[in-house]
Amino acid sequence: MTAPFYIALRFATHRKRALLLSLVGVVFGVAMFIGTQAQTQGFSQYFIDSTIGSNGALTIRSRFRPRYEPLIVGSKSTNANAAHRLYFEGIDNASEIMRVSRQFSNVVSCSAVLRGTLSVRAGFENATVDLFGIDPPLYVRTTDLAKQLISGSYNDFQNNTSSLILGSRLASILDVVPNSTVQLLTPGGEYLRFNVAAIARSGVGSIDASRVYAHARVAQTLLKKPFAASMIVYKLRNPDRAPELAKHFEDLFQHDAQSWQEREQSTLQLFLMLRVSVALTVSLIILLAGFGIFNVLTMSVLAKVREIAILRSMGYRRSDISAIFLWQGALIAAIGSLIGCLLGAALTWGISRIPIRIRGLLYADHFLVIWDWRHYFEAVLLAMIAVFIASYVPARRAAQLPPVATLRGSSL
Amino acid sequence: MNSEFCLSCRDIERYLGEEESRVHALRGVSLDVEFGSTHAVVGPSGCGKSTLLYILGLLDQADGGSITIASERVADLPDEEWSRRRNELIGFIFQFHFLMEDFTAQENVMIPMRRLGRLNEAEMRERAAALLEAVGLGDKAQRPSRHLSGGEQQRVAIARALANDPQVILADEPTGNLDTDNSQRAFELLANLVRQRQKALLLVTHNRFIADACDWVHEMKDGRIVSSHPRGQRISV
Repeated sequence: MTAPFYIALRFATHRKRALLLSLVGVVFGVAMFIGTQAQTQGFSQYFIDSTIGSNGALTIRSRFRPRYEPLIVGSKSTNANAAHRLYFEGIDNASEIMRVSRQFSNVVSCSAVLRGTLSVRAGFENATVDLFGIDPPLYVRTTDLAKQLISGSYNDFQNNTSSLILGSRLASILDVVPNSTVQLLTPGGEYLRFNVAAIARSGVGSIDASRVYAHARVAQTLLKKPFAASMIVYKLRNPDRAPELAKHFEDLFQHDAQSWQEREQSTLQLFLMLRVSVALTVSLIILLAGFGIFNVLTMSVLAKVREIAILRSMGYRRSDISAIFLWQGALIAAIGSLIGCLLGAALTWGISRIPIRIRGLLYADHFLVIWDWRHYFEAVLLAMIAVFIASYVPARRAAQLPPVATLRGSSL
Repeated sequence: MNSEFCLSCRDIERYLGEEESRVHALRGVSLDVEFGSTHAVVGPSGCGKSTLLYILGLLDQADGGSITIASERVADLPDEEWSRRRNELIGFIFQFHFLMEDFTAQENVMIPMRRLGRLNEAEMRERAAALLEAVGLGDKAQRPSRHLSGGEQQRVAIARALANDPQVILADEPTGNLDTDNSQRAFELLANLVRQRQKALLLVTHNRFIADACDWVHEMKDGRIVSSHPRGQRISV
């Protein structure tokens, strides 16, 4: 134990009330930071997981070619390139594209989807739906659809081409349950009857309110599209690298490729803004704790002027005196961060138990949280920086105190 | 500079205050303190005694002149080096003992040792206990310093000044707060130690009996040493 650390420990523990006040600020700030970050990012992560689980981490959609031929078309890394394209609905050679895609190490699986809009009727209720014509075995490997079922059976759907899977909110609107019958209106004005095999809840409001899954061949008949696939959805090993892969696929396949980050950009930005806003607000608490520590240490310096002069007369250097007060700050930051992290974890657990009924953008029955070590690291880092800045000024002031002025006070 | 001197200064100048209130506190003071000798500086209040002591103790910067401690010129060394020499070579004793109130007697004595860092915790405790024993406080080593009497606190301060076995002991009115018996005891303790271990003691005092007991008495007036007498010569204090 170094001499400044030993003395800092004694100074700090001697002024218990001041130490406690400083600690409370840091503990509260760190815990709040962790708790709010866990909660705001919890909702964000839930949305990301749900949207990737439902729509894939990457999708390939319309074919394109350059507006001004014979220019070579690059990826849409810039808007200017994208503006010079002509898009054609549907995917040519979906099987070939999927075969080549599977060679990429990041691709876990992919599945073609024929997508279109139809009207659905059940009893006296009508709704416009987003029809996904899928290959059931392939699609279930690519998305979380099987996990999202809240009633009914995926096997029933897979084994019966006249069956559908409905989004949970849509089922609720139509007031249908598994084994109910619904009618889909074809572009020719004809109603076709289908059995409801299962109800799925993705957790994303817009999907659950409009999504209907049907077999691809049935969808092709219903939608009367001239192509077999309007998009290909991908499951990736590392969804964070989806933008790079999308760019590569565009170059390779000359089809519009969209990562989940690009697809959900506006919603993700909203979550990010919310998270940053909360982080800034909570940082103010840590900043206030910093002010508190600044005051406590400044008062400590004033109260210890005599001791500082004594220490200097005994050969303690200016840097030793600084270190004594910096160590006090470090002790407060360390103990405060440790307790703050524990309290933050408890707060996160407590928040996750708060019942709340969310039926909008997301579907949740309680607060959603995420356990991420980075929240703890960021909170501790923030506390350390705030405390260091708060300690630095008093420490520097203590080091600059001329000892002889204090010592003279007792004898001239 | 003669190597028989433990502490020596030449032509020390010091101004205190600013502009109109500026005072010429020390006017070319020169002094030699031999190993194993005790020196007293006497004079009226404000004559510059304490100022001289702080400059010789490397706590204050002189405006002119030179200082030599253990054959090394130290006046122009940087603050870091001054601190190191204060810790290793100089022991201070103040009128108001200046103990750390939150610490026990033993912990107070250990503070300079902690800075020096030559002994481990057990060795420091052992040495501090021995020093407190030497000043008659062996049984009060674990007592918080604020619970000691004035005389006891001053004896702890003496033990603390000796903690790192310094060559020079500087004392500013070390017996100013003590009764006659305690004053006598404290001084004898210091004087014996200085003679036995060949150290040097320079003390500022108003106590004529203490001054008379020193090997040399230097009388100061208006920032100058106006006379220096060996022991036995009568002076007016």
